[in-house]
Amino acid sequence: MNSQSAPHQESEQTRGEGGNASSPKESKIKGLKCRECGRLYPAVAIHICEFCFGPLEVDYDYAAIGRRITRRSIEEGPKSLWRYHELLPVTGAPTVGLHAGMTPLIHAKRLGRLLGLDNLYLKNDTVNHPTLSFKDRVVAVAMTRARELGFDTVACASTGNLANSVSAHAASVGMKCFVFIPHDLEAGKILGNLIYNPTVVAVRGNYDDVNRLCSEIGGEYPWAFVNINIRPYYAEGSKSLAFETAEQLGWRIPDQVVVPIASGSLLTKIRKGFQEFEKLGLVSTNDRLKVNGAQAEGCSPVYRAFVSGKNHLIPVKPNTIAKSLAIGNPADGFYSLDVVFKSGGAIAAASDQEIVEGMKLLAETEGIFAETAGGVTIASLRKLCAEGRIGRKDLTVAYITGNGLKTMEALSGALPEPVGIDPTLASFRKTVNPTN
Amino acid sequence: MTQMRLHLTFPEERVREPVIYEICRKFPVVVNIRRADISLDSGWVELEMDGELADIERTVLYLRERGVHVDPLEKSILEG
Repeated sequence: MNSQSAPHQESEQTRGEGGNASSPKESKIKGLKCRECGRLYPAVAIHICEFCFGPLEVDYDYAAIGRRITRRSIEEGPKSLWRYHELLPVTGAPTVGLHAGMTPLIHAKRLGRLLGLDNLYLKNDTVNHPTLSFKDRVVAVAMTRARELGFDTVACASTGNLANSVSAHAASVGMKCFVFIPHDLEAGKILGNLIYNPTVVAVRGNYDDVNRLCSEIGGEYPWAFVNINIRPYYAEGSKSLAFETAEQLGWRIPDQVVVPIASGSLLTKIRKGFQEFEKLGLVSTNDRLKVNGAQAEGCSPVYRAFVSGKNHLIPVKPNTIAKSLAIGNPADGFYSLDVVFKSGGAIAAASDQEIVEGMKLLAETEGIFAETAGGVTIASLRKLCAEGRIGRKDLTVAYITGNGLKTMEALSGALPEPVGIDPTLASFRKTVNPTN
Repeated sequence: MTQMRLHLTFPEERVREPVIYEICRKFPVVVNIRRADISLDSGWVELEMDGELADIERTVLYLRERGVHVDPLEKSILEG
């Protein structure tokens, strides 16, 4: 169970660096470092500190990176997340997900006016490439790193966006792919994976059973399990949302961000991304930045801990329409809570009805059709504004992480019926008020 | 022999009970606690559990019946 070995576990010290990435003489990755005890490991396919069981994170050589990275070097890079390759955990040129990232940052004037915000921006990952969610970022980074480490097989356990992204990226580079799902997953979600021709394994059991089995498989087979043994690299892809935000704001850090919380990794990595830009002098430090979280009430272990003022998370059984956020015992829940507390931010939670209202509000004011997670973010943003936690003049960014076409069922019965008419002008005039 | 790494979360009503002692008495498994944080009203423990796979699975089932939430060390792997 313990060894999650890769076919080739070269450390940075034994690998050359190629492509358009860092200089061969000056590695940007020092290795992996335990977030709890600080113990160091080579940059291979491991994710847990053998000494204290803490999670491992990529340890960068910021001095070396700082000698190479500039605003100009970034601006001259590709129009994708790979323009920030110096701050991503790959050693050579990217090979997977070359078009992920650089999604629009939209000044949401109509929504902002409604919420009382003059400077509201939306980071719109509903149009991420190729599978229309922010998972395309983390998977691009995870699979590029997995190939560098010599893996030819990739795997994940997912009920939606992650499976889509892993399957699509694996198909694009011809990697073998295994996707694990609960046996009773809706047919539509399974089809969205099967089109890419991965091996989809439907596990007869509940979510806990799928979790346990995948942990065992992750230890048994020499696969790149993106959110198990490749997790330290996978998670780093989320930083690109912060990098793009800062660059698209004209090299500024916002005053407030609102981030949906599932595993909690996205929120912590957005904070880390801003800190890295500050550390490297690419932006001015903004000590006012408040990091806010958004959860669905039906799966809100981090929100509940925040409200109770505790740092212990109690696992929950998810019961929400926001399936992409339905993680009952989030791996980075404690760390996301810590980021929110330390930044002076807050966490709000949205009921299923409020989630649908949030989706409609976003669509009606800004023309963006987000999945249920986007509804959670907008509904939570609305609450944070109503509570006075976000001020009218605050430069605020809300993260919209997936496309509404993926969760159409959530809107069943929530939208008005089309207006039916006979094929005559008279019927049109009688039934529809054209001046309305 | 198999080894599993588990994350156990104890709700308030189980925090003061010797549940880990119980499983060591009831099942032929060896438990090695590696990290923990316990307070008056909740807590978690991360441990290694060595034994035959069937015995480990029976132990996990027992823990769940006792109201302890059992996850792999990675917690929720199944993502949306």
